[in-house]
Amino acid sequence: MSSRLVSPAGGGPGGPGRRRQRPLNPRTAFRIAVIGGITLAAIGILVVRLWFMQVIDAQTYALAAVSNSVRTVVVPAPRGLITDRTGKVVMANDLPSVNVVAFPLELTGAQRATEMQMLAPLLHTGVAHLQAEMNNGQVASPYEPVVLAENISSYQQAVISERIRQFPGVALQNAYVRNYPMGTTAAHILGYTGLINPQEYKSYLAKGYVGNEEVGQAGLEYQYEQYLRGVPGQTDVEVDAFGNPVSSAPLSSTPPVQGDTLQLSIDMPTQLALENQLRQRVQASGTATGAAGVAIDPNTGQVLAMASYPTYKPNAFVQPNPANEKLITQYETGGGHTLLNRAISSYPPGSTFKAVTAISALQLGILSPTELIDGPPEITLYNTVFPNFQKENNGLLMLPTAIEVSSDTYFYQVGNRFWHLHDNVASQTGNTNSGLQQQDWAERFGFGATTGLDLPGEDPGRVPTPAWKSAWFGSLHEPSMEPWLPGDNINMAVGQGNLLVSPLQLAVAYATIANGGSMVTPTLGKDVTNQSGQVVRQLSSVTPPRSLGLNPAILSVVRKGLNLVAQGPQGTASGVFSPVAASGGPVVAGKTGTAQSGQNGQSDHSWFVGFAPFDNPQIVVAVIIEHGGVGATAAAPAVCGTIAAYGPTKFNPHLCGVPAKVKSN
Amino acid sequence: MRGAGKGEVELTTLTSTRAPRGATSASLRTFLTGMDWILIVVAGMLLVLGVVMIKTSTSHAIAGNPGYFETRQIIFLLPAIVACIAFAIFDIRQLQPYPRVLLGGLLGALLVVFAIGVTVRGANAWISVGPFQLQPSEFGKIALVVILASLAVERLDEIDRWRTTLMLTAVAAGPALLIFLEPDLGMALIYIAILGGVLFVAGTPWKHFALGGIAIATSVVMAFGVLPSMGIHVVKGYQLQRMTAFLNGGSGNTAGYQLAQSKTAIGSGGALGKGVGGATQTVYNFLPEDHTDFIFAVVGEVFGFVGAATVVVLFGILMWRALRITAQAATQFEQIVAAGICAMFGFEVVVNIGMNVGLMPITGIPLPFVSYGGSHVVADMAAVGVLLSIHRRRMAI
Repeated sequence: MSSRLVSPAGGGPGGPGRRRQRPLNPRTAFRIAVIGGITLAAIGILVVRLWFMQVIDAQTYALAAVSNSVRTVVVPAPRGLITDRTGKVVMANDLPSVNVVAFPLELTGAQRATEMQMLAPLLHTGVAHLQAEMNNGQVASPYEPVVLAENISSYQQAVISERIRQFPGVALQNAYVRNYPMGTTAAHILGYTGLINPQEYKSYLAKGYVGNEEVGQAGLEYQYEQYLRGVPGQTDVEVDAFGNPVSSAPLSSTPPVQGDTLQLSIDMPTQLALENQLRQRVQASGTATGAAGVAIDPNTGQVLAMASYPTYKPNAFVQPNPANEKLITQYETGGGHTLLNRAISSYPPGSTFKAVTAISALQLGILSPTELIDGPPEITLYNTVFPNFQKENNGLLMLPTAIEVSSDTYFYQVGNRFWHLHDNVASQTGNTNSGLQQQDWAERFGFGATTGLDLPGEDPGRVPTPAWKSAWFGSLHEPSMEPWLPGDNINMAVGQGNLLVSPLQLAVAYATIANGGSMVTPTLGKDVTNQSGQVVRQLSSVTPPRSLGLNPAILSVVRKGLNLVAQGPQGTASGVFSPVAASGGPVVAGKTGTAQSGQNGQSDHSWFVGFAPFDNPQIVVAVIIEHGGVGATAAAPAVCGTIAAYGPTKFNPHLCGVPAKVKSN
Repeated sequence: MRGAGKGEVELTTLTSTRAPRGATSASLRTFLTGMDWILIVVAGMLLVLGVVMIKTSTSHAIAGNPGYFETRQIIFLLPAIVACIAFAIFDIRQLQPYPRVLLGGLLGALLVVFAIGVTVRGANAWISVGPFQLQPSEFGKIALVVILASLAVERLDEIDRWRTTLMLTAVAAGPALLIFLEPDLGMALIYIAILGGVLFVAGTPWKHFALGGIAIATSVVMAFGVLPSMGIHVVKGYQLQRMTAFLNGGSGNTAGYQLAQSKTAIGSGGALGKGVGGATQTVYNFLPEDHTDFIFAVVGEVFGFVGAATVVVLFGILMWRALRITAQAATQFEQIVAAGICAMFGFEVVVNIGMNVGLMPITGIPLPFVSYGGSHVVADMAAVGVLLSIHRRRMAI
């Protein structure tokens, strides 16, 4: 074997064809050259390719590299505090918490499905819900982490962080959770926060929001979002392919800034007293379905207290867990309209409206304060019997006494004068919508329109007009009810009929009577203060009081009547308030109301609206006890207890009396 | 092999190396001056570059042990340099008489892999030796070159006959098929490339290459297109994925991700590179296998166009020297051996860099000298040693 194989190496005794002295014959040289040529071409192609990638398209690839490796971490900022008027009682604050987030672009397809399946039971939610969150987040802002669960428990944190390697694309993120330390107190004012709804995402993004932030969803949280919102910080960190930061030093960072403090005009003792009163009155009544009350400073419009009952825990909305989910379901579907802020919802005002009727009639000159008008048990007008409350006979009355005893038959006749006023003008002009003096005056006192309170959801109520009536009953297909009739003016004069007002509107109207004739704009927000305590924006008294140009003598007569209601021998509420004045407490003036709810078999709404001290009013309180019965029995004591708690009018609430007998409305 | 030296006394180089009897220093000097120093320097530069790039790309690969791969690669350099020197001293012609023995040994080693091999990255191509794994198919490349060169030289006067071409093809196909079944498609393709280089320089007619090319193209289309659509799976799913990813320009699947990340790394390097500190794509593990098959992307990101093009040019110089040695080989056997090595290096470099820049589909082929891995670096340096040995006995053109 060796000889034959060795021979080609040249010179062995093998066949002559295998011997080559010079292996490089021209044919081989050419072939080697071909290999060289191919090599050269390949090198050329590779270098050109590199040139295109690294010099011409370098920018594109550089961007891809940055989005690959730089992750912007949003550092959440705590939301501003909400405090009472002293700034000392914290009504809303932020607590540190941990959220579970996922990065939609880093977690796709089957891997996402697997991880969501693993997370769902731990987070007490459904796979479908998590998938929907991921999809929504990916569409809205693919580079932002999607919040899968907020404020998770320390157990949940432990479970996830131990297995974080099994959850690529998922992370635990420090965050804040909103907290309302006072439980149900001022719930309807404060509202609550929540994650931005997917539908609103774009509009928030346009306002400079960075991603999945908590925003005000109701109440003042919503109203003053712009001040309360903290500005989140941003940290750009370099991450590896698994999303883990590669060094502790960020590439760049802007620190988070806490939101400003919202200082309310709420006077905490008054607020607590009002809430306490509403709860007690509803629970004591047996028929009441709810209650609401407002206390305002008649000189500034600052809301000192505002409450609605039944109430709720705002924490249920901001701190999701199974127990709170159950609470929310109960609030939303349990009946009782728990989430409704009754203080800005409208009801028929009943006799509380008589003060407005009186001022209007006096101003228009269709009533004189010294005029004697009979107040019989009932009165027949236009073939209709209009009865006095409990068929009482009030005898001949002048205005202050008519208010004191709340004579319906007296005010029916005043209402009839408004009808004539309207009827004369309407028949002269041929326009049934002219001569609406009663309505005009109601509107001057702020009824039929929102007061401008800095709280969303205010009900404007309703001041009925011929146009409204024909449209309303036209739409109900009740043609016989469409025309405006004398009874409409007559009923409106005593606060019945189709008139609807909110406790807040009533308080503002009475503030006007109390302060000498100026309409104030009620406000809940007092000031916005920054972290160093400086006021950066004043929220109350921004709109100056607007004078209605009332005749002081007229105001004085009506106030005299309101004084008699609470202090006079026949006053409908003097049983409640006169013991207070007799013991050296403030002199309260006001008006009871017993409004027919229009719901068959249900008790009337119990109203009281009053102010104190009589000669220098500092507080106006309006309270309604829904289906609470007569004004003097339920609402008046609630008002008394509330006034007792307010600093400038403070007195021992046990001085508030109990009405001896239900005499009048 | 006594005969080998005797047969070549007329060759100038050999004469000169043997002339000064007993003078060790003189013969060492002759040995050293007979080296192709350009080839040595280029190979050395590529090895050093490899260590630096491995250090860069793996500093965050294993938590708490940033130097793991780098240290191992430096350890690998030792046997690699020893192999290079040994083959430079050794006369490769001494293996020329034993192609069948070598073929038997090669097939045997590959079968042993099937029996006791360990699986790394999906391919059962390694044999465990202590803390290291040997990849017999890497060393088999050199063996195949020798086997094919020897058999070709046996049949030089029948080189333009079909039976010669088919016989040599069959010899290469045996080990290539075993390697394909490991499965290591990339390595199997290198074996085919070596066959092509040997046949080409041995003088196989052009029409054989043309028909061979048609056969290869047909089998690729069948394997990746026609047969899978009929439900017959010759190639593995991931191999199909890689082809799909390549044809899609880097999207749609894991292989597409790899390709896209490789291109991002290279492209983002820009003209001058991001430096070792700024190479986020490779340092932070966005690019899988960046220390092995995708090491070129690391070069591209760290050193930019200047560095990447320099590496391409270094390989160009390497090819130039290897082809020059091929042309100057003293015997036809050595010439064909050198040609097989040229084909091996050329194919590996073009396919590896080509896949790094998205011009070639992903096949598990390491970049010679640079990629992490002991077996291939030892085999690469052994091949350089063979070239140096051939160069030592070269004849003037």
